[in-house]
Amino acid sequence: MSGSQARQARADRRRSFLRLAALVARRDYLRTVRRRGFIVGTAVLPLAIAGLLGLSVVFAPGFEEQAAAPPEMALVNESGLQLVIPAGYQVRQYEQAEAREQLRDGRLREYYIIPADYPSNRAVLRAVAASRGPGLEDVQRRSTQQQALAVVLRATLLERQEIPPDVATGLLEPFLIDDTTVDGEGAPAPSFNAGFMLPYAFTFLFVMSIFITSGYLLQSVTEEKENRVVEILLSSVPPLPLMTGKIVGLGAAGLTQVAIWVATALLALPLLGQRFPDLAAFEIRPLVIALAMVFFVLGYLTYGAIFAAIGALAPGAREAQQYSGFFGFFAVIPLIFAGVFLTDPASPIVVALAIIPLTAPAAMLQILALTFEPPWPLVVASLASLGVFAVLAAVAAARVFRATLLLYGARPSLRGVVGAITARG
Amino acid sequence: MSVSPGQPIVLVREVHKRFGDLDVVRDLSFEIAGGEVLGFLGPNGAGKTTMMRMILDIIRPDAGLIEVFGGTPGLAHQQRVGYLPEERGLYRDVSTLDTLAYFGALKGLSAAEARRRAVKLLTDVGLAEAMTKKASELSRGMHQKAQVVSTVLHEPDLLIIDEPFQGLDPVNAQLLREMVLGQRDRGAAVIMSTHDMNDAQTLCDRILLIDHGRRLLYGRVADVQRAFSSGAVEVEGDRLPTHVNGLRSVSDVVPADGVVRFLLREEAEAADLFRELAALDADVRRFQVATPTLNEIFIRAVAGDPRAELVG
Repeated sequence: MSGSQARQARADRRRSFLRLAALVARRDYLRTVRRRGFIVGTAVLPLAIAGLLGLSVVFAPGFEEQAAAPPEMALVNESGLQLVIPAGYQVRQYEQAEAREQLRDGRLREYYIIPADYPSNRAVLRAVAASRGPGLEDVQRRSTQQQALAVVLRATLLERQEIPPDVATGLLEPFLIDDTTVDGEGAPAPSFNAGFMLPYAFTFLFVMSIFITSGYLLQSVTEEKENRVVEILLSSVPPLPLMTGKIVGLGAAGLTQVAIWVATALLALPLLGQRFPDLAAFEIRPLVIALAMVFFVLGYLTYGAIFAAIGALAPGAREAQQYSGFFGFFAVIPLIFAGVFLTDPASPIVVALAIIPLTAPAAMLQILALTFEPPWPLVVASLASLGVFAVLAAVAAARVFRATLLLYGARPSLRGVVGAITARG
Repeated sequence: MSVSPGQPIVLVREVHKRFGDLDVVRDLSFEIAGGEVLGFLGPNGAGKTTMMRMILDIIRPDAGLIEVFGGTPGLAHQQRVGYLPEERGLYRDVSTLDTLAYFGALKGLSAAEARRRAVKLLTDVGLAEAMTKKASELSRGMHQKAQVVSTVLHEPDLLIIDEPFQGLDPVNAQLLREMVLGQRDRGAAVIMSTHDMNDAQTLCDRILLIDHGRRLLYGRVADVQRAFSSGAVEVEGDRLPTHVNGLRSVSDVVPADGVVRFLLREEAEAADLFRELAALDADVRRFQVATPTLNEIFIRAVAGDPRAELVG
């Protein structure tokens, strides 16, 4: 064969490869996005946001404002002091017998008794119904009530010392914080509820999407194997374009899902910000979105290649799910260490998780969500590690795919799998 | 890449394939030209399917040469090949027409052309009403006919079919036999694996008998039968001997239903027997060298009959 013929043959092979991969990708993409599970899964985020908005309208003025108001507190004052109740605090005073009766009837959940020798004896008694167990809501309620009681008693003691009201107010509430941007514009104060939870929600959704999409790939391969369609496919499409087409098609389905989520978030955030001031401070920067997409794609390629190989290796769908679960555990390790990411983003654990390929996608998505300026050296190192691993995983998976895809119902030996991965050609 | 006239469509030379410690195909050589049906015969596990998969480049040989359309098997030729594997399947939750259109597109047809041909061929085999049904709703026979249609949809130049008529009723089997012969008459080369010796005898121009991965018999059906035909002579007449006493050319005599079957010794010819019968004054009305069926040849060859070497 002459040089020009060889070049022509190579070009023909390349065209055939791309045509076949595109055909497989198109079919798997359309088949996946028309699945009921995919449509429901994609609609979860928009529906959740719509639900949140709906609930906020129904329960106006808003959950957070309601939650911030101090709860009503029952008080039996035996000290003889004239209690000073600051504005906004709902304190109802009872006689001991009446409070006890209402507690017994269930009309009161608890009441506080300021003893006769207060303030020389600072022990304030809290009477509760005996049958109530300590739930989370009780703990929060007790904490809020005690903060309110502290304010009431401080105000009372300050008045007893004849401290002028404006001085007393300054002592009770020594500062007020106003958030501002560098441009001098007002900004709402962040809170743990929204400012921190939203980036985590996004990280979680991205990681979930990697797994849902890889799961579709696994399902697609095992289904074609179980239906015995795979041998017909392999007689038309060599293993590498077949696997490439599947990874691209199903990856595109995953990207479609993520794109819908991001678009929903971008559209909904201004609306949500009006109802929840905390959220107005949260913005998704284009650079972070772009980087997140890159990590999503590389993460999906890595797990997609591994899951495709598992689909080819596993004798059936059940075994395939078991094997993939083992690898899936790696991806959620960074979520288990979420506390470390929040408190110490420079910790060696965080850096290690960002560089180890199987944990890098979830780790870097968290880091990007939590930092204003991406930590570029870590981003580059993570991308390099993940990119190299993704290529190696794809090559190894293609070899395993070719060697084991036709072993219907049989479990290949570890030696056979290693042999397939290290084989030439 | 086209094939020059006379050049084989598939050329296999001393191909060897090993799985683990087992030699599945051993130094196998054969070839097939266009317009010809080659029957792959052999017991289960003989290596027939492995050989077919190597021609299709689904798996690769450890040694030897395989040429398809004058080049190495693979991407460049896959559009010209149709394959019906023994383990068959269609997408269970997709309509038959959609599945066939997809398979046709993978073989290089445009989506519209693949659909048009699928509709025509499915109608030809009596599946007009079943084409919009999902594979899970088809009977086994319908499933199999749809599969055969998918194999020939793109009019391949090389058709590789593994047990194509297995499990079909006689009417549908005949329908599909005609479809296979139609492909051969169109000029396609057909490699067909079968356990049915009647199919091999009626459909194949040549046969390749494989056992334990090794070639036992290879040649035109008539040549193979001729090679094995010297073993028996059927004679009708009167005063025929019913035992071997006095017959030097015969190892056994089997009288049945007015016909006496003489089994010749290895070194003897039919003419030797004829002379001996004449000397015994037998009244011979019919003297015919018996042609063994492919089934008999298969059994004898696998059992180690030395005549296999004549056509091996």
